[in-house]
Amino acid sequence: MSGAGGLAFDRYTVDGCSEWMMRIGRAEAPPIVIVPALFEEMNRTRALVTAMMRALAADGFGCWLPDLPGTGESERALEEVSWDDWRTAVSEAADHAAAASGRSPVVAALRGGCLIDDAAEGAAHWRLAPALGASLARDMERSGMAGVAWAGYAPSPSLRAELEAAVPEQEARLRTVRLASDRNEADAKIAGPALWRRSEPGTSAALAAAAAADLSGWAKTCAAS
Amino acid sequence: MVAAFNDEEEVTATLRAVLADVLGLAEDRVAAFDESTPLFGALPEFDSMAVAGLLTELEERLGILIEDHEVDADMLESFGSLLNYLRSKALR
Repeated sequence: MSGAGGLAFDRYTVDGCSEWMMRIGRAEAPPIVIVPALFEEMNRTRALVTAMMRALAADGFGCWLPDLPGTGESERALEEVSWDDWRTAVSEAADHAAAASGRSPVVAALRGGCLIDDAAEGAAHWRLAPALGASLARDMERSGMAGVAWAGYAPSPSLRAELEAAVPEQEARLRTVRLASDRNEADAKIAGPALWRRSEPGTSAALAAAAAADLSGWAKTCAAS
Repeated sequence: MVAAFNDEEEVTATLRAVLADVLGLAEDRVAAFDESTPLFGALPEFDSMAVAGLLTELEERLGILIEDHEVDADMLESFGSLLNYLRSKALR
């Protein structure tokens, strides 16, 4: 499959280690680089992200989703990965998409991905339901009440400490989107379930469509100005 | 940071939204919950794995901090008991 909605896998390099990235849409199309949510939330939002990427590809964008070191198909073990490795990965992934398309990408981050998306140089940033690192860490600690600390993930002490201290950085061209049921400030609110909280992974076609439409509008606005 | 809550109904609406979101319950079902509706142990969706996500989402949306030692079966027993706890935290 190599059509507009086709799925392809590329390699990119982080500190000499090759990692995978998934692409939906043409490599030379206006690029959007997705920075995924972290740890268990990454799995819970995977179907949402893929549905968003398909919708955006149909809208003419090339969407790139990197596997962060120690996650997905990465050959590195999570316990050996540092916070800086993730930041470097995000930066390298954006550079890869920029080189392939000849354009500066829009960087779209979900949840904990908003804590590292500032490492990527992009034409603009877009965030869905950004989370504080301290809140994500508390949630992982709490999952220990059910018997499995950190939901079975084993981050290094340094990665854990950096996560706990991390807050989303301010960006010049930034649009923040939250769920309608979330009272925190945002540029826009969209209706849909907090899939990242579900203990059973799921998806929501309505949320994916609304998120993709908002992101598409922002990317086009930024490209036009 | 979340603006201070000054309305009991806003806390109630947030709890309903979070229950629907996190547990994947239908909104009309959650809308029918009253103070005596039993929660923890009574809803199959509300198991110990779901407690962590529920508490963290409530913290984020209400701008409160829930201490782990405050979390017990009594607090989670019913819609009313959880609501009372959240009101005491969020309405200051």
